[in-house]
Amino acid sequence: MVQSVQLSASLEDYLEAIFCLFSEKGGIRAKDIARRLGVKAGSVTGALQALSEKKLIRYAPYEVITLTSEGLQKARQIVRRHEVLKEFFVEVLGVDEAIADEGACTLEHGIPKVIFERLTEFVETYKKDQVMTDTKKEASLADLKPGQKGTVLRLNPRGSITRRLADMGIGRGALIEVERVAPLGDPIDIKVRGYHLSLRKNEAAEIKLSVL
Amino acid sequence: MKQTRITVALAGNPNSGKTTLFNALTGARQHIGNYPGVTVEKKEGLRFYNGFEIKFVDLPGTYSLTAYSIEEIIARDVLVAEPPDLVVHVVDSSNLERNLYLTTQLMEMNTTLVLAFNMIDVARRQGHDMDLPKLSELLGCPIVPTVASRKKGIDRLLDTIIQTARHKADRPARPPLRYGKEIEQQLESIMRLIPDGHPLAEPYGRRWLALKLLEQDREILDRGWPEPMIQAVAQSVERIKKHVGDEPEIVIADRRYGVISGACQEAFRPSVESRHTASDAADAVLLHRLLGLPIFALLMYAVFALTFRLGDPLMGWIETAFEGLATATAGLWPPDAESPVKSLLVDGILGGVGGVVVFLPNILLLFLAIAIIEDSGYMARAAFLMDRVMHKIGLHGKSFIPMLIGFGCSIPAMMGTRILEDRRNRLTTLMIIPLMSCGARLPIYALLIPAFFAPCWHGLMMWLIYMIGIGLAIVCAWLLRKTLLRGQTVPFVMELPPYRVPTLRGVLLHMWQRGGLYLKKAGTVILAISIVLWAMTSYPKVGDEALAGLSEEQAGQVALRHSIAGRVGSALGPVLRPMGFDERIGTALIGALAAKEVFVAQLGIVYSMGQTDEESETLREKLRQDYTPLQGFCIMLFALISAPCIATVAVCRRESGTWTWALFQFAGLTALAYGITAVVYQVGRLLL
Repeated sequence: MVQSVQLSASLEDYLEAIFCLFSEKGGIRAKDIARRLGVKAGSVTGALQALSEKKLIRYAPYEVITLTSEGLQKARQIVRRHEVLKEFFVEVLGVDEAIADEGACTLEHGIPKVIFERLTEFVETYKKDQVMTDTKKEASLADLKPGQKGTVLRLNPRGSITRRLADMGIGRGALIEVERVAPLGDPIDIKVRGYHLSLRKNEAAEIKLSVL
Repeated sequence: MKQTRITVALAGNPNSGKTTLFNALTGARQHIGNYPGVTVEKKEGLRFYNGFEIKFVDLPGTYSLTAYSIEEIIARDVLVAEPPDLVVHVVDSSNLERNLYLTTQLMEMNTTLVLAFNMIDVARRQGHDMDLPKLSELLGCPIVPTVASRKKGIDRLLDTIIQTARHKADRPARPPLRYGKEIEQQLESIMRLIPDGHPLAEPYGRRWLALKLLEQDREILDRGWPEPMIQAVAQSVERIKKHVGDEPEIVIADRRYGVISGACQEAFRPSVESRHTASDAADAVLLHRLLGLPIFALLMYAVFALTFRLGDPLMGWIETAFEGLATATAGLWPPDAESPVKSLLVDGILGGVGGVVVFLPNILLLFLAIAIIEDSGYMARAAFLMDRVMHKIGLHGKSFIPMLIGFGCSIPAMMGTRILEDRRNRLTTLMIIPLMSCGARLPIYALLIPAFFAPCWHGLMMWLIYMIGIGLAIVCAWLLRKTLLRGQTVPFVMELPPYRVPTLRGVLLHMWQRGGLYLKKAGTVILAISIVLWAMTSYPKVGDEALAGLSEEQAGQVALRHSIAGRVGSALGPVLRPMGFDERIGTALIGALAAKEVFVAQLGIVYSMGQTDEESETLREKLRQDYTPLQGFCIMLFALISAPCIATVAVCRRESGTWTWALFQFAGLTALAYGITAVVYQVGRLLL
């Protein structure tokens, strides 16, 4: 089984590099790998021999290096792990991309499978949520077009007017539908709690909605 | 001990049919006045029922009981200062959630409540299925369904009022509304800080006070609390902000709506989704993107036409009637006798009263039109349509309507500003209304334009004069809003109530109440001023010998010159000169103070023309000889800008509540007229 093939951290790095180069150019030579990983050509040869022994790559001196099907699968796993970690750092933790890359390189090899699985799951749902909130966009009431609806997320406080709006039933969670805009473009006519209310766009801009 | 007098306060949202119910409950036994110091109507009425004398106090219509508007403060103060035996809260049944919001606040004030579910027929027709007994149980107060416009449920409401008032003491205390742990904690800590026997604690109740403090209610916060108290409240506010993420007042409002939603969900099932009512269909046309404004313009034209076309013949009748009365009065004296009493009666009092009463048809018709527009729900739409324009000059959409009426007559227009809720807004509108060129100025233009300008310019000149007025009104409104009446522009958060067919009774009552106010109050002041002006143009008398051998016209001229008005006119000569006016125009202008249209007649007397009107060619001939077109234009300009008549001062005093504003307006307009006319005259003279 592929999973049973255990690789050292450095071999994983080699495999990853080969995979990346392979998908970029197709044919790979030892010196490409050396350049990419910033190591001496001599150490590359040793590593390639080790990978070849594990039947992950096809390697003969002075020939183009290719991945075996097992090697391809293994490499994909490694790359995926790197990507998940990097995603976690960038998307969730908000780390800079370059630093995230570096961090992923350092952490990817030693990470226990369970933790990795959980992490993958977390990043997946997190990303899905992000997509959801993107489509369920937040917008101000002033930006809604007639016929659009949304629920109130919050009122930006602006003195007594906020209070008034709350009194009129525009509170968190209230459903608002824009009915129409006045012929001259300002006030708008909205329906909230079953009645019609008109307010200027100026005031409507302070009401943030989650658009339905 | 049997109580036979019950005081009932009527509370409710605007447009809930509160006034209609009040009328149905009290009939014609109403007393209308103003709350002291403000121009918010105070209405009271009596009803005798089953041996009880029930006094109804109609509170101003409010959505809430915060200190947001003057109406809300008044409603609250009445409930506290003159606690009624019970409060009937009029609820629009087709709009329960928002209406019940006020209920929650009335409950907090520990009032004994009866809910009148008004317009229950509309609600049922719209498919709202309500479990009233259940709702009554949940809210802890009796509910009576009513249809005020058809007087249904009135007796049951009266029975319930009496029942509830009699058994008031037996009612178990209502558990207070709970606002959630965070707010309750802060409420308790504030309540603990309110000292025992604090003067406010007694009438309002501790919990209510604490709640208002937490809501940062300006009215309550500014009642001189000790410094540590203020700080504790500020701390509590901060804590809530931090924990809940919103201002406490918003959280509290949300919780109230939460309680209502909960109650409604249990007892109220909108069986059909009532999305497209007839009212919505009407709005689709009346507020249409393209049709909305033309329809509005047409409707406004109809109001205008109704007021002035229909009113003019009626005015003619009243004039004829007063003339007949004057002739009959004069007939009491021998034909040639000159008596000061006769002159006072005929020229002063009858002339003065006639001058006031003559506007009554216009005013009544206008108020009829306004009442229909208001009661039908279109007024809010008019404001909705025009707000963009009015907002630019710092006013509210509703200001447009009185301004438009101003083109007919400033007096009903100024009274029409009552539709504006915000005081600054209302004062600004009040101040600029006279700049809308009123009908009384028209005779002056009609006389002068043909006298000085070639026919092809007539239309343009007329248009120019009106436009100058509108332009000045815009500038003045803007200036006032930037200086004296500065303040937040009034946020435009206005309900668009469902359209309703106005009841004939309601509309007529509305019309009559407002028209009556004009007759009663403004009438007395205008009458007094008319008499003063009469005296000014009649005294001192010229000796008979001075008039000997003069024709009647010449005698009139000499008499006018000799009178106070004539002398003031002459004395004003040097002051008027920069505007290009001579003393003859000055004298005519003094007379025009009573009413602008008098200017033409006075000019006729000054020129010894006897009776003149704006069609008088000979007068035009004379004017052409004596004055340049520039002077003619300046006269029109002055007539346009200066205060239209003394009656507007009286009405402005009434509507603004103080003489300060009335005199400010008078002085301001006069100064503005003087300044602009003088500049135009001087610049014009250099250029021409």
